[in-house]
Amino acid sequence: MRRRKHRTIVNVIGFIIVVATLVTLVSTARAWDTSTSQPLKQIGTDLILIYSAPVVPSGTGCFIANHLFSFPFEQSSMTEIQQVEGIKNAVPILMHRMGAVVFVGFDPEEKETNAILPNNIVEGRYLTSEDTNAAIVDYEYAKLNNLTIGSPINYIKGKFQIVGLANIDAANILKSHIYVNLPAGQNALPENNTGLVNVALISVYDPRDVPKVSQELIDKWAGATPIAATDLAASTSNVLKINEQTAWNISIIVAVVTVLFTIRTQVSTVSERTHEIGILKAIGWSKSNIVNQIFIESAIQTGVGGLIGCIIGVGLTWYLLGSMSGVTIADPLILAAGFLLALISGIVASAYPAWKAAKLSPTEALRAI
Amino acid sequence: MQKNIIIQLDQLTKTYHLKTGEQIHAVNNLNLTIPQGEFCTIIGASGSGKTTLLNLIGGLDKPTSGSVIVDGEDISKLNERDTVKFRREKVGFVFQSFNLIQTLTATENIEAALAPSEMADSERINHALTLLESVGLKSRINHLPNELSAGEQQRVAIARALANKPKILLLDEPTGNLDTATGKEIMKICHCASKQNGQTVLAVTHASYVKEFTDRLLYMQDGKIQTNPVDPIN
Repeated sequence: MRRRKHRTIVNVIGFIIVVATLVTLVSTARAWDTSTSQPLKQIGTDLILIYSAPVVPSGTGCFIANHLFSFPFEQSSMTEIQQVEGIKNAVPILMHRMGAVVFVGFDPEEKETNAILPNNIVEGRYLTSEDTNAAIVDYEYAKLNNLTIGSPINYIKGKFQIVGLANIDAANILKSHIYVNLPAGQNALPENNTGLVNVALISVYDPRDVPKVSQELIDKWAGATPIAATDLAASTSNVLKINEQTAWNISIIVAVVTVLFTIRTQVSTVSERTHEIGILKAIGWSKSNIVNQIFIESAIQTGVGGLIGCIIGVGLTWYLLGSMSGVTIADPLILAAGFLLALISGIVASAYPAWKAAKLSPTEALRAI
Repeated sequence: MQKNIIIQLDQLTKTYHLKTGEQIHAVNNLNLTIPQGEFCTIIGASGSGKTTLLNLIGGLDKPTSGSVIVDGEDISKLNERDTVKFRREKVGFVFQSFNLIQTLTATENIEAALAPSEMADSERINHALTLLESVGLKSRINHLPNELSAGEQQRVAIARALANKPKILLLDEPTGNLDTATGKEIMKICHCASKQNGQTVLAVTHASYVKEFTDRLLYMQDGKIQTNPVDPIN
């Protein structure tokens, strides 16, 4: 095999292409999925609902959601929202900005879907529904402003005392500086905002229903703007926009093409080796010896091709996604799948030539030049 | 069958059917017995059926009719697996065109003949090196066939044929591609090997000097051994 360099190299390159393509495409697609769903997954939701607003003067602050200006709406509409088919839960959030400070009012009893969750607390404690003047502050913000547990903190009309510090991931679209109980938050704002919120965090039973649910929300509430993971990602990510299923489909097409290509080269290789096979048969090699030899050679080629393909695939994925946080560059499952695909391709590609070689009569094979 | 007869051919026929409908009897109702340890040479013109006869005796081809009894076994009736075992254990082939695998070194070519056996790797390599040494190629063990002279290539082929210690050596024009001096050298190696190991040798050739090495000279014509031949050599 090592002295049939040209054929061997061509075959190995074929497998490198298959595996590198698969690893790169699937890893990138998975990273795309991760990056698109991450901002909402961080807060345990599938989509958020706001009423988009034009730019609001900043004198008294403004309602925002993920950097989008929004109008407040009745907190009581959560009950109606929850009645939309497919919706599992709707959680109200008040999110307000004054200057550079972002302030959130939330219901601490909602522990699955929320702007801040108990596992975000790194110091102190989470809020309870009884806390009227307690606040949780973002750890970095606290550090920057020399705030600690027990420090007072004010937001417009509200006066609070810090009871907890939280580490909120940058991917969390509702990342804020100050978190308080929802009623306390409503009372802290300059105007009377009792019973008003500006964000609904909506979780659905089946994530595949998100587009359908979004459409229904638009239909029922004029001016409502549902924002799903894909909407966020479309504006925030510049990675290859391809879903995982498409990536697998492309990889399988590449694999099929490579198998056909490899069958062709293997058939040519076996044809070129007809005389050699005749010699081997004349000196006592059996059909199974010949088949095994061809399979072993193919397995080595696919093994080497698969290994190099995995390395190149990881390299390309790193090149494409290196700057993104929270994505897996080398997923062992994808690498294993790529390697396995190469191995299966190799076996399939060498099966016919091996069978053809095995059934050659020694005298016919010896006559071949 | 006599006790010391190793090859017995009874009414052996090999017929080829051409696309034109014509039939060619390459071996035609041939009877022959060869005792164990004999160096027997068959001489005949091209197309007389010599190579076909060797292929039939060596289990490379099946007869159309008749029997090929080698070492007490009718090899024409063997199944595929037993035929392979027979080729591996009982016969060693040496061809006119050497038939070495061009991508393997001299040692590896010999190892290839030993590969299907249960021999350990180190044992196989040592055995191959011993054989190469016995044919005077100690300094050529890592050379590819195209780096060897014709005589050296044929010596590798002889070493390979002897690798599995076969009872029978079948030499198909072993000196056909060699000059007289080299050809004699090759025949001498085969002769010595057969006498040392008690192997039976059946050679087909055109070379006149084979008489020096052979125990019995036979003439083949039209697929048959001639009882009153015209000696094509003299």
